[in-house]
Amino acid sequence: MQEITTYLAPRRLDEALRATADGDATVFCGGTDLAPQTESGVRQYKAKLLSLRRIEELGGIEAEGHEIRIGATTTISEIRRSSALAEIAPVLVEATEHFASEQIRNAASVGGNLCNASPAGDMSPPLLVLGAAVELACWREGAVRTRRIPLEEFFLGPGKTAKLPEELLTAVVFERPVVDFVGRFRKSGPRPALEISTVSVAFGARIANGLLRGVRVAMGAVAPTPLRARHVEAALEGKPLDAATIAAAVAATTEDAKPIDDVRASAWYRSHLIQVFVEEVLNDVRRN
Amino acid sequence: MEKTTTASLTAKKTMIGQRLNKPDAPDKATGKTRYINDMVLPQMLIGKVLFAGRPHARIARLDTTAAEKLPGVHAVLTGKDVAGLKFGFVRDNVPLKDKVRCEHDEIAAVAAETEEIAQRALELIEVEYEDLPGVFTPEDGAREGAPQIHDNFPGNKSLHFEFKDGDLAEAEAASDFVVDNVFRPHHVTHCCMGTSCAIADFDHNGKLTIWTQTQYPYNYKMDLAPALGIHPGNIRVIQPPVGGAFGSKLDVYPYEPIAALLAKKTARPVKVMYSREEEFKASPTRQSAIIHMRTGCTRDGTLTFRTADVLMDNGAYTSWGPTIPVVMMRTVSGHYRVPVVDFKAQAIYTNNPYAGSFRGYGNVQAAWATAQQMDMLADLVDIDPLEFHLKNAQKSGEVTPQKSILNECVFVECLETAAAASDYGRKRKEYAAERNKPGRYKKGIGLASSIHNAGGAKIHKSDGIGTILKVDDYARVTVITGASEIGQGIDVVIMMIVAEELGVPPEHVTIVNNDSDIAPWDVGVHASRTTFIAGNGTRRAAQKARAQILNAAARALGELAEDLDLRDGSVVRNRDGAPLLKLERLMRQMHFQPEPELVMVTDYYEPNSEPEGAKYSSNSSAAYSHAVHIAEITVDTLTGEIKVDKVTVAQDVGRVINRMGLEGQIEGGIAIGLGYALSEDMRIEKGMLKNPCFRDYKLITAPEIPTFDLHFIESYCVEGPYGAKGISELPTIVIAPAIANALYNATGVRIFNPPMSPEKVARAIHERRVQATSPDGGVIPS
Ligand SMILES: Cc1cc2nc3c(=O)[nH]c(=O)nc-3n(C[C@H](O)[C@H](O)[C@H](O)COP(=O)(O)OP(=O)(O)OC[C@H]3O[C@@H](n4cnc5c(N)ncnc54)[C@H](O)[C@@H]3O)c2cc1C
Repeated sequence: MQEITTYLAPRRLDEALRATADGDATVFCGGTDLAPQTESGVRQYKAKLLSLRRIEELGGIEAEGHEIRIGATTTISEIRRSSALAEIAPVLVEATEHFASEQIRNAASVGGNLCNASPAGDMSPPLLVLGAAVELACWREGAVRTRRIPLEEFFLGPGKTAKLPEELLTAVVFERPVVDFVGRFRKSGPRPALEISTVSVAFGARIANGLLRGVRVAMGAVAPTPLRARHVEAALEGKPLDAATIAAAVAATTEDAKPIDDVRASAWYRSHLIQVFVEEVLNDVRRN
Repeated sequence: MEKTTTASLTAKKTMIGQRLNKPDAPDKATGKTRYINDMVLPQMLIGKVLFAGRPHARIARLDTTAAEKLPGVHAVLTGKDVAGLKFGFVRDNVPLKDKVRCEHDEIAAVAAETEEIAQRALELIEVEYEDLPGVFTPEDGAREGAPQIHDNFPGNKSLHFEFKDGDLAEAEAASDFVVDNVFRPHHVTHCCMGTSCAIADFDHNGKLTIWTQTQYPYNYKMDLAPALGIHPGNIRVIQPPVGGAFGSKLDVYPYEPIAALLAKKTARPVKVMYSREEEFKASPTRQSAIIHMRTGCTRDGTLTFRTADVLMDNGAYTSWGPTIPVVMMRTVSGHYRVPVVDFKAQAIYTNNPYAGSFRGYGNVQAAWATAQQMDMLADLVDIDPLEFHLKNAQKSGEVTPQKSILNECVFVECLETAAAASDYGRKRKEYAAERNKPGRYKKGIGLASSIHNAGGAKIHKSDGIGTILKVDDYARVTVITGASEIGQGIDVVIMMIVAEELGVPPEHVTIVNNDSDIAPWDVGVHASRTTFIAGNGTRRAAQKARAQILNAAARALGELAEDLDLRDGSVVRNRDGAPLLKLERLMRQMHFQPEPELVMVTDYYEPNSEPEGAKYSSNSSAAYSHAVHIAEITVDTLTGEIKVDKVTVAQDVGRVINRMGLEGQIEGGIAIGLGYALSEDMRIEKGMLKNPCFRDYKLITAPEIPTFDLHFIESYCVEGPYGAKGISELPTIVIAPAIANALYNATGVRIFNPPMSPEKVARAIHERRVQATSPDGGVIPS
């Protein structure tokens, strides 16, 4: 273990960005990914440790306007308790229900969940179906610079993102979903609580004149990154949500999901579960 | 001293059967308890162990020079320093190894001022290994030409057991139905919340004091001594509060002699404590095995025979795990009335982690097989399934082929009570009929039972306990007993028994039971024995004290001793409960009279059981007991998830002593069994543990705990204290096969290799469906 020589917990974003300008700090928010990773040795601390928790402008949920903005340090519990989000984006709130335990949810942040870039991260599939983008900021030439990239392009591989070392994730943003937007989330693990997803599925679409429009389907833990299931989406787009469409969507999952065997589940089981969940989620939407 | 009496005064209240809190509960709940893991001694050094991290290898080079030079390091030990210090059940283990036989083999150990320095020192130790081909299953280990793990155990053969009774060929010929299956119980581990920890300190006379989590302080000395090359008499064992044991502390494991050897070398106290990852890798497992079992019966449902051929994965060293056949065979021969038995078990060394003892001790594995085969036969015979169980259930007075004498046997009552309470017969039929109909969620109900020793187990020369009891000038009682408290609740039982006999409030009883230099001998907390054995010991000691007190009271009051009783802190008149003299006052009178007398009595209780013996044909426990579990589950046939909705338990407890403790033991025992059944699984690949953390090793958590319907059947055991029997292992033993039988009832699939994880269940159901719809016309077997 490398020794931590500096610990910073600034109150302002620009201070934090200046501290990471050299790209050589260990950043954390809730620490619920960082602590187990450093403890088990898969990751080392850098000499400079930077906490984001005191930066007020990184927290909070803005849900009034056309664009919904969730600050990076917003905890999973805050999302779970947000009545605004329950109304606007229930699919996101649904995903917090099955997230870890109360203690972890109180510490874990949405920014940490995305930056950790686990294929099994539970915030990714619902945010992908909401068409979210992430906002990244850095300190360059004496000023705070920000850029936005679609969440889909953010994930590069397990633990790898498009975020540069000097950048911080400041917020996740998405357009207010239309009123007839329907969304669903489903995850599985062998236990009802405190479980890392074996696989997860999120679905989002509008139903106009009986036809599915703007379909987005996302999957977790079936590939190196959380992903949009383009083949499943294609099988659904513009179609009526009937038994034939659902069967076609289920069949298309094998084109999108390329899971692996690991200590948590076999590839067979993950593919099987994805089919079960896609079918379940679509049937559920169809019934309601 | 004539007084008017009221009705309430005359009624003698009994403590037995009440609900009492554990005295340590408030401190544990509030975090005040100082566990061994929290202990710090002045001048204490931290010991750390270098593990091999590979399953089988020769050590080509080992250089500790750099580690020794690191400031703050006080000692570095390696295999060279401990040559000849062999210990373990068959003396195949040493504290530090000169060859690697499993992943967690201890290669070197350091003692340093801080944990960080100790860790740094480990990193400075240079080791070169030459890896050797390994053996990772008992079948592979038993094969001709398999790599040898120990030079002096040819063919990798460890322990062997056999028991036979009756004419097998004849019994087979008489059988109309025979079920024949191979069961593969897996590796799980105890997951004590307090990780393994020992603190050792030598004085300059060569006496070792060791603070440990051991469950068997007296034989522990005998087992630890050879690992240190000292006399057992020079060891003092102190047992601070522990965070669980469940059988894992019934042996000496290398970290304990390592702590002691480091303490000796440095002349300072040394503490060794495992991290959670080390705990997963280096603590013992439940014994895994391959059980080939056959059970036969006639058409009318009478059992004819049972055979078991067991191959056990010994792991790299022999702890208590491979001795489990001693218990297994009692289940194979005694679970229901089995007229003919043939039992064989062989343990084979492998390069896997090795097994110790674990709550249920072989019966978990045995009942996994026997209780499933009983369910299979129940479907084949021409009589009602419950009838089948009842027909073969033993009754009081029967003797098993191994000569277990079932004196007070209420197996039939257990079966009838559980079946009636859960409406077993109707539901079983109804769910089976639903099995092949469409629908994602299927309900199932499953019955399982087992038999277990409930009055100790005389596997040593003695199964006894020593007790010293004193009553002081304030009528406060101290019981100095060999019975260890590891969280299981013997403290309350002892307090209640003293309260019952001496009429003092239970909170006036203090227990001293954590120092081998003070408390008298006991075998240890194991084999569901402590309430039975220590309960009897305490009762006998308390009755001696009672007799002395009543005699003194009789003299003081001019009454007859038999007309007096002790209630509510007073000497009372037996007839109407009228208080005559405060006990406290009497104690002082006895003490400060011209011929002073103190109440301090001793007792040594030895149960009337017989030693196990080499032939395994003896009444080795003073009592036996049965439990029946009926599990009701809902299976998601697509994801394979099993939700356990309700568990109905009917267990022969002899007599309820502390109702709350009993409920806790049964529910807690079932929680361990549920993990075994559904989720816990050490993923060992080529000798390496792949999931040494709670994220990937799935314990059962609160939301998965089912509804319980507990029925305590009181059989009033003549030899037991107030009629009580030992109770704590059966809950862990019986639940898994009950769920397996419920799974079959719901879906028609059986899983022979636990856990019944969602993935395994989903795959089995999927395969059954594919088979059923295949063109070559597979008919769904039901
Ligand atoms: C017991 C347990 C159960 C869990 N269960 C679940 C679960 O059910 N579902 C699930 O998805 N996850 C689960 N997790 C994982 C974890 O809790 C989540 O991923 C959580 O959202 C991480 O947030 P954090 O704030 O704690 O991240 P941290 O650990 O603080 O950080 C995670 C990573 O992101 C980086 N980082 C954090 N914030 C920023 C930022 N604003 N800008 C740049 N980089 C940043 C850190 O440098 C680090 O690399 C579980 C973890 C534990 C310990």
